[in-house]
Amino acid sequence: MLIGQSAPRPAARVQQLTKTYGSGEGMVHALAGVSVSIRRGEFTAIMGPSGSGKSTLMHIMAGLDAPSSGQAWIGDTEITGRSDTELTVLRRRRIGFVFQAFNLVPTLDALGNILLPFDLDGRRPTDAERTRVDRLISALGLSGRLRHRPHQLSGGQQQRVAIARALATAPDLVFADEPTGNLDSRSSRQVLGLLAVASREGGQSIAMVTHDPIAAAYADRVLFLGDGRIVADKPRQTAEQIAAFLLAAEPAPETGSATGATTTAATQQVPA
Amino acid sequence: MTATLSGLITEPGPAAAPRRRVRPRLEPGLGASVLVAALSSAFGVVLISATGYLEAMLRADPDMGRSDTVAFLLSFLGTVLLGLAIYVAAVVTANTFATVVAGRTRRIAQLRLLGATARSQRAQVARQGLIVGAVGSVLGLLIGTAMAMGGVALAGSALDLDVDYLVPRPSLFGPAVIVALTTWAAAWAGSRRVLTVTPLQALGAADEPAYEQVVRRPARHATAGFLLVTGGALLVGGIGIGLLSPYGVVVAFVGGLLSFTGLVVGAAVLMPPLLRLVGRAFGGSTAARLAAENALRYPERSSRMAIGIVIGVTLVTMLAVAAESVSARIAAAWRGPLPAEMQRPLDTFTAVMTALVAVSAAIAAVGLVNLLTLGVRQRRRELGLLRTLGLTTGQVRRMVLLEATHLTVTALLTGLVLGIGYGWAGAQALMGSVWLGPELTGALVPPALPPGPIVIVVGATAALTLIAAAVSVRPAVRVTPIDALAAG
Repeated sequence: MLIGQSAPRPAARVQQLTKTYGSGEGMVHALAGVSVSIRRGEFTAIMGPSGSGKSTLMHIMAGLDAPSSGQAWIGDTEITGRSDTELTVLRRRRIGFVFQAFNLVPTLDALGNILLPFDLDGRRPTDAERTRVDRLISALGLSGRLRHRPHQLSGGQQQRVAIARALATAPDLVFADEPTGNLDSRSSRQVLGLLAVASREGGQSIAMVTHDPIAAAYADRVLFLGDGRIVADKPRQTAEQIAAFLLAAEPAPETGSATGATTTAATQQVPA
Repeated sequence: MTATLSGLITEPGPAAAPRRRVRPRLEPGLGASVLVAALSSAFGVVLISATGYLEAMLRADPDMGRSDTVAFLLSFLGTVLLGLAIYVAAVVTANTFATVVAGRTRRIAQLRLLGATARSQRAQVARQGLIVGAVGSVLGLLIGTAMAMGGVALAGSALDLDVDYLVPRPSLFGPAVIVALTTWAAAWAGSRRVLTVTPLQALGAADEPAYEQVVRRPARHATAGFLLVTGGALLVGGIGIGLLSPYGVVVAFVGGLLSFTGLVVGAAVLMPPLLRLVGRAFGGSTAARLAAENALRYPERSSRMAIGIVIGVTLVTMLAVAAESVSARIAAAWRGPLPAEMQRPLDTFTAVMTALVAVSAAIAAVGLVNLLTLGVRQRRRELGLLRTLGLTTGQVRRMVLLEATHLTVTALLTGLVLGIGYGWAGAQALMGSVWLGPELTGALVPPALPPGPIVIVVGATAALTLIAAAVSVRPAVRVTPIDALAAG
């Protein structure tokens, strides 16, 4: 408690996290001892190439998967070693989710999807929560779409409904997993801007997994993962700085022809 | 056989053979279609054998031997019952294939993208129907023949009869062939949606089946409306004529047949509002609301799932209510219970008919369990999303149970109301004019409800609900939150 008052307690924290798949020679270390805190009120980007362990880290932090060893906390609550039902209730009350695609329940309209975390909890939103939800709906420009079902909404609109749902309960942490992966660049900018505003003005803690340097440039802090470890922890970066760091961190290519291919592929990711 | 089976069973490539044996696997959901075909084909074989045996028995009896009418009635009833079973089986099979096709949209789209024509894709699905039908029919033929032989032997020894009746005969191939062909046709009808799959659907990232509206089919709806109105009018007319003459029952029978066919044809329009009503009655919890929406997600699929159960419940209730109403009327006239020699044949007839109708209900039940399970499997990603957002496994269980309950309760209530209505109409039209004293003759008498059969129908529906929920909940609770993300 004393520590909590001197330094703001983190929104989420993991300690010496490992995750292995398989056994013997075929054993894969998805996470090889990760310790990190997601600071409260910050917009944190988690970056890394595929296979770096960033998705596994997010799954464990969000109580979706269990680590092989180590501990994880949401706020002050340790989530490792808890039962499936405890984790499920914790997710619905204290964590918000935005995914790349298929975020919404197709049989519910937009409002039904936004209020789903309350419904799953078997309660109606309080007056304060309802006011918050109404503000979110108008800020996200969804007022005219509340009775639409997901298939009647564009990709960007669906993502905004997902953001409204994730923010509705004012959770300890919002996890966003490649939230712009399926969007055109204009909708992407809009979605990222909304997340940044939610963090800056609403004090919402957000952790976003992405491989896109432009998306990560919206974040206050960028964590780089490689081979199941945190390889860098940097404050706000430009997209160019992020892309340059990713390029430098690429493992040395083995043959000349592969060099060319890797460089070309990486260069294409660097924004103009 | 191997050549024909290759379309149906996902085989490993020849290269995979030496290393590890991959068990050939039936496409999920089609196993139930084999069962449905086998059930109807076995039923046909048993019916033909039973009526044949009864005929032989009558002929052997010197007193009854002249009764050609009885023989005709027997084969007429047998044909109607078999036709009913095959009809229900066809509805179930068409529904199964439509559902399988919906789950296979992506694969069909990929093949279309690579150049396969929609027509060839549909033909492939229909071919699976022919194989499923053939396999099921042959199984049913063998099982039915064995059952019939066992039954003949049992009847012979139990009743000490010396009836010369050989079960295996060419006519037994009749139902088997009809069932195989109907299954083929049903698969063809159910695969209509293959034609609407576009190659582009293979490229879309978010390719979840959209919330489906009831397809507008003006011709079908007009037919249903016409049958309902005409049938209803004949039914009322039959009851009216029945006050003067027992022949009213013939008019009422035709009216019942037409109006009920109208209900079945128009099920896709008539059932969803009832499903919605029943869904609302289960309250506003998330599990209940999601379940109610799931039952309405594919209105046609749900309607066809429910209609088989409606048919079974209606016919069983109708027979019981008609028999009870007739005997109650006679009992009221005589101011005492029916004499045993009148009551017993009536009870026996009702019991035998109920058992025979129950076969159709069982076929419909197989279809309901199978389709609910298929529906759950096809919603894997959505279930994963809900689990991520905080739906506990307990809530998943409740949702699946409620989904099954919405369907069965809707079907049960519809069937009970229709059965009581038709049963009463039949009894009224038959007995309205029979002289049973001044109070009862030419008067409308309310239906008599037999508690026993109604309890059995309700109990059987409850059991079906639990079985359907138990089977379909297993794939549902196995879904983890990660499944929703991995599928992306």
